[in-house]
Amino acid sequence: MRNVGIVGIGYTPVFVSKRKDVNISEMISEAVEAAFSNTGLGPKDIDAVVFGNMHTFEGVNLPHLWAADYIASLGKPLMRIATGGTTGMSAFHAGYYHIASGLHDVVMVVTYEKQSEGDSQVGLMGIITPEVMAMIAAGIDVTGGSGMGAIGGGSAGGISFQASSYLHHSGAGIEHIDEQAALERRNAAKNPYAHLKDPDATAEKVAQTPLVSWPIRFGHICPTSDGATVAILASEKAAARITEKAAWVHAVANCASDATTANLIESQITDPAEHLPAIIASRQAYERAGIADPKKEIDYVEIYNGFAHQALMYLEKIGMCEVGEAHKLQEAGELEMSGRMPVNASGGVVSTNAIGTSAMNRVTECALQILGQAGEHQVEKDVHKAVAHGWGGMMQYVTITVLGDKPKKD
Amino acid sequence: MGAPEETYFTPVVPMDFTYNYRVGPYITRYLDGFKDKKILGSRCPGCGLVAVPPRKYCGVCNKVMEEMVEVGQEGTLENFTVGHVTIEKGRLAPAEAPYVLGLVKLEEATSALLARVGGIAPSEVRTGMKVKAVWKDEAAGDYDDLDHFEPV
Repeated sequence: MRNVGIVGIGYTPVFVSKRKDVNISEMISEAVEAAFSNTGLGPKDIDAVVFGNMHTFEGVNLPHLWAADYIASLGKPLMRIATGGTTGMSAFHAGYYHIASGLHDVVMVVTYEKQSEGDSQVGLMGIITPEVMAMIAAGIDVTGGSGMGAIGGGSAGGISFQASSYLHHSGAGIEHIDEQAALERRNAAKNPYAHLKDPDATAEKVAQTPLVSWPIRFGHICPTSDGATVAILASEKAAARITEKAAWVHAVANCASDATTANLIESQITDPAEHLPAIIASRQAYERAGIADPKKEIDYVEIYNGFAHQALMYLEKIGMCEVGEAHKLQEAGELEMSGRMPVNASGGVVSTNAIGTSAMNRVTECALQILGQAGEHQVEKDVHKAVAHGWGGMMQYVTITVLGDKPKKD
Repeated sequence: MGAPEETYFTPVVPMDFTYNYRVGPYITRYLDGFKDKKILGSRCPGCGLVAVPPRKYCGVCNKVMEEMVEVGQEGTLENFTVGHVTIEKGRLAPAEAPYVLGLVKLEEATSALLARVGGIAPSEVRTGMKVKAVWKDEAAGDYDDLDHFEPV
């Protein structure tokens, strides 16, 4: 396997609720132009393009083909990846495979979502329908109206069991979820590419938002955003021509459990927060990256947290701390930008969620921290190695990427 | 130059989609059991796991589960949430009153079953409580025959 580096990143100028001023392809092209501008590269330098977004969220099928001439892909290999919330990182992994395999040298990964267009419910039909079928197979009365249907309909319904179980097993309280949401919205205020920003966010303010499904409040939940993210990846030889400093992929891994809602009703697992895929994928990634103790060797973490408690829960699942320790690290200020284990300095998914980009941005944000290019949300400590986590699929799929400041040694 | 005037189209596509999901023999057996107010599971010949409702494969062993077993009507509340909203036709609406949905691990089962929890105030519900099945008077072999679980 060849080493692969991230040599360029491009974001749309903003991530907001509604980009009314441009159409889908035009919006995507802004991120492509930014990546070219940041690297000095152009369409002729790109060997192949990988594209990712949520299945039919804009009511548009085959968006990579609609946008083909806006993403410098004409006459080039082009493929689309869609794995749910994890899409952005799955697309990144596909770009990595293209180069690690020796097939291509410079690959552009394009991800986007323009959720203000179309009806997310239409897009969710692609998820609800199989999920409803999984629910029927799991003995759930989907015709029963209140609540039962809500489990599959949106992740907010199912996720409340995960949050409830996380609190039960960790000893954390709902106030820690409130604080995590506040912490990340404060971080978001320092990130020009974040959506929901609140420099004065506090746990008390979050606690005033209404309960949706205990212990999940409105203030714990991500927004829907419009935006696009592009990463340009290169082999070691090509990277040397393009840039002096790249963020290097040290490992990728992914894992799924069975096709029910988020470990909720698997026949093997009765704990909806057990989330074995996160444990398996992260341990595989650390092994591939040659990391013996992630707590000591990893400097920065980006967690895919569509819901605020997930930053805490997944820190424990991916081995960045012990079970029951994440909320104590939060209390000690260690998860802040100035802390010993900064997490989601970007503001996380809970602040910005253009879904196709969301798992990709976990990787690009880790890369920016390694490159020292995160600007106002650059963390205080030096970042040599970072881990990015993606969560999605039918809520039971996890992707992991480990990055380093030097190419990985054999 | 100010912001450009917003121009968009709202196509209305008059189509109606119907999905016919066949439940398969395992769920058919499960619902047949409901007619007699019985809860059935399937046992894995490899690891002994008992899945409720019954399913064909044990994902851990990759073995076909052929043996059907009846499990108990009582179990442990493994986990729960308190719903404050409902979804009706894709739209969120406030619930009339907070309601409890729980994951119940029935005696002899190794899996958890999602069900309503009733007969108790939401604020009194605790993980680890013992609960039992409450059936509708007339069981017709449908999911809602098993109405809810209540504290033992």
